[in-house]
Amino acid sequence: MLTLNRRAVVALGLAAALSSAAPVMAQSDYPNKPITLVVSYAAGGGTDAIARLFAARLEQALGGRVIVENRPGAAANIGTEVVAGAEPDGYTLLIGNQGPMVVNPHLFDLPADPAEALDPIAMIADAALVVVVGPKLPVPTLGELVDAAKAQQLVFGSAGNASASHLASVLFGQTAGIDIRHVPYQGAGPAVNDLVGGHIDFMVTTIPSVIGLVQDGTLTALAVTGSARFAQLPDVPTAQEAGVDGYTASAWYGLLGPKGLPEDVRQRLANATAEVLSDPAFTDKLANDGGVPSTLVGADFAAYMAQERARWGEVVAAAGISVE
Amino acid sequence: MFDVFANLGLGFTVALTLKNIGLCFLGCLIGTLVGVLPGVGPVATIAILLPVTLSLDPTGALIMLAGIYYGAQYGGSTTAILVNIPGEATAVVTALDGHQMARNGQGGLALGLAAIGSFIAGTVATIVIAAVGVPMTRFGLLFGPAEYFSLMIMGLVLAVVLAHGSILKAVSMIAVGVLLSCIGADMETGRERMTFDLPMLHDGIEFVVIAMGVFGFAEIFKNLADPEKRDVVRGAIGRLWPAWRELKENLAPMLRGTALGSILGVLPGNGAILGPFASYAVEKRLSKTPERFGKGMPAAVAGPESANNAGAQTSFIPLLTLGLPPNAVMALMVGAMMIQGIVPGPQVIERNPELFWGLIASMWIGNLMLVIINLPLIGLWVKLLQIPYRLLFPGIVVFCCIGLFSISNDPAQVIMAAVFGLVGYTLFKLGFEAAPLALGFVLGDLLEQKLRQALIISNGDPSTFVRSPLSAALLLVGLVALVMAVLPAIRRSRDEVFVENT
Repeated sequence: MLTLNRRAVVALGLAAALSSAAPVMAQSDYPNKPITLVVSYAAGGGTDAIARLFAARLEQALGGRVIVENRPGAAANIGTEVVAGAEPDGYTLLIGNQGPMVVNPHLFDLPADPAEALDPIAMIADAALVVVVGPKLPVPTLGELVDAAKAQQLVFGSAGNASASHLASVLFGQTAGIDIRHVPYQGAGPAVNDLVGGHIDFMVTTIPSVIGLVQDGTLTALAVTGSARFAQLPDVPTAQEAGVDGYTASAWYGLLGPKGLPEDVRQRLANATAEVLSDPAFTDKLANDGGVPSTLVGADFAAYMAQERARWGEVVAAAGISVE
Repeated sequence: MFDVFANLGLGFTVALTLKNIGLCFLGCLIGTLVGVLPGVGPVATIAILLPVTLSLDPTGALIMLAGIYYGAQYGGSTTAILVNIPGEATAVVTALDGHQMARNGQGGLALGLAAIGSFIAGTVATIVIAAVGVPMTRFGLLFGPAEYFSLMIMGLVLAVVLAHGSILKAVSMIAVGVLLSCIGADMETGRERMTFDLPMLHDGIEFVVIAMGVFGFAEIFKNLADPEKRDVVRGAIGRLWPAWRELKENLAPMLRGTALGSILGVLPGNGAILGPFASYAVEKRLSKTPERFGKGMPAAVAGPESANNAGAQTSFIPLLTLGLPPNAVMALMVGAMMIQGIVPGPQVIERNPELFWGLIASMWIGNLMLVIINLPLIGLWVKLLQIPYRLLFPGIVVFCCIGLFSISNDPAQVIMAAVFGLVGYTLFKLGFEAAPLALGFVLGDLLEQKLRQALIISNGDPSTFVRSPLSAALLLVGLVALVMAVLPAIRRSRDEVFVENT
């Protein structure tokens, strides 16, 4: 049933795009050539997957080609630089996420400050993380995890130095007042593997990386780090509910362009993004990936990023995370 | 046991629908093509095709993506044998003797043995996954950072056995490889190491850049510098297909390679790359003519190729049974499942048995298809080598550059590979081998990660490596292998002394 629905939706979407492409394009000149959507990671990562799904649906909304270009390197700072240096005509855009947009400015001496050199168009999605424990520390609640950490220093795994899962864990330690030890891995996969194997105590990681193991009972989810519960894990409380006051953390993605986008182009892109985010065919896939569609646009998105930047700056400084 | 057959039966009814056979064929064909093209890997291909697969049902989509993966593993060996360019770490070993065979006019035999070995390995690995997938997963989970580190140490010792020249030179090449793997941001502190403030070095060097440089480009420099030998195949091409006798001789290496590859493939963090190296070392040790290794020994192609393919397939086990991806390709498969609304994890086998068993059955069908696609192509590939070198090498260079550029859409990668080409040529002139360098680079990265992870977990206590029985046992095997490798070397050098004296 599910597959039939999906196929029907995709087919309908395609048909709609084909039939409506001509009149939409006649109203506005933009876009009259292919748009390059820069992804700051190599093909195959989580951000890349979201970007490709988004680009495919954005093409229909805009009535023009959107080509994903991977520009990985220098801790995702290359992508920022490429877009910051591009012509602000709406034909070079960036999928920006938490790391390069608000964390890296605290870690690197950047040639292009994302807050100065980029125009935020719209936030796409927000993905909460989840606190999970495995066979090494089989505690049933977040409170007991905190108690265990007070009795003996616990070891947590992350997807890498300064990754969302690393910073969210550090913030957890700071908020709960516990001292924890960080084991960096290359990506969430190997870290979850060692959590399942009982080699590390706990992780704060993206929901898709562990949801199957949580539903099966191999791992126990103690709390989600968003401000609300996650639909596919209805029994898992938020960190707030579980007693760690004021602890929220999430990974997010947004659409940005070079500073100085013409207002009509920015508006057109914001509207197209809103259209993509209101399509269940896209949001269903987003939800499968742990993401909740966002409604933040333009200045509101900029304000959110400024707030996030200040917040993670404190975490980075307090934890002494550094990169030179 | 009957369950296994009933389940496989279910799998084959799913995989043998016309649509799924078609998707499997398409995947294998695309995979073979991207594998043959140097530098274009399965990760980028699958990522780009991911949105396309959304219009397929989940089983069909995964069957096609899996086809691309093992098709690419296979196609990569073809390039390694023909033009000495290993596109993936696993093909480095194949290039060693495979390319020598091609130069000796046995290119057809090398490709044929690779194809048949891969098929046998694929068949065995399919049965392994179906029958003991779950217990194999438990085995893989035993390997925490400490155990993994000890396994790597054992692997590095085996690498010394790989070299057929001086052990001192091999060890120094491994050390250079390990040092190269240290370039880039520190995994724990993020501090830059040996990057000289160059942004292109911040995330480290890509394996493909090194492989294309020290193998591919260096080979071209070698050939251009030595016009006498430069046409890859001189004289007769020889038979295209292995004879029955050659098949029989290589059956044992194929089976041993399959066993090694199957076991190592289950390990987390891409243990599959160890399989071919281990197989080569084992074959060399068991061989009656170890001196022929590195000069075009058929068993040195048949064994590692089987190990490669078996590992490629058993690396699906953690993905299928736990939803845990051991490498980048598998992480993409997880992504494909999530987008399709299937939550990867232990419950897939119960909730989506048609997907689980259909995918397994399609692996065997895919292996059969690879043989069907590739055996007729062998003639074509070998003929390609008869093209005069002055026409062939610009083509190779162009394809390499395209592949290198596509890594990050950045010319910096092409320039780095060119530098490594000069390095590789210089090393060749000085009598150093490139294979230990490549191995050192691949293992060095894992080695550092696991060493540091293990020490953080133990809070700095190094006894963690011997307190785990598994880790202690692995270190012991490494020690024994080292002694075994050094002793004959001492003997051999003594023999040489005697030869000189008489």
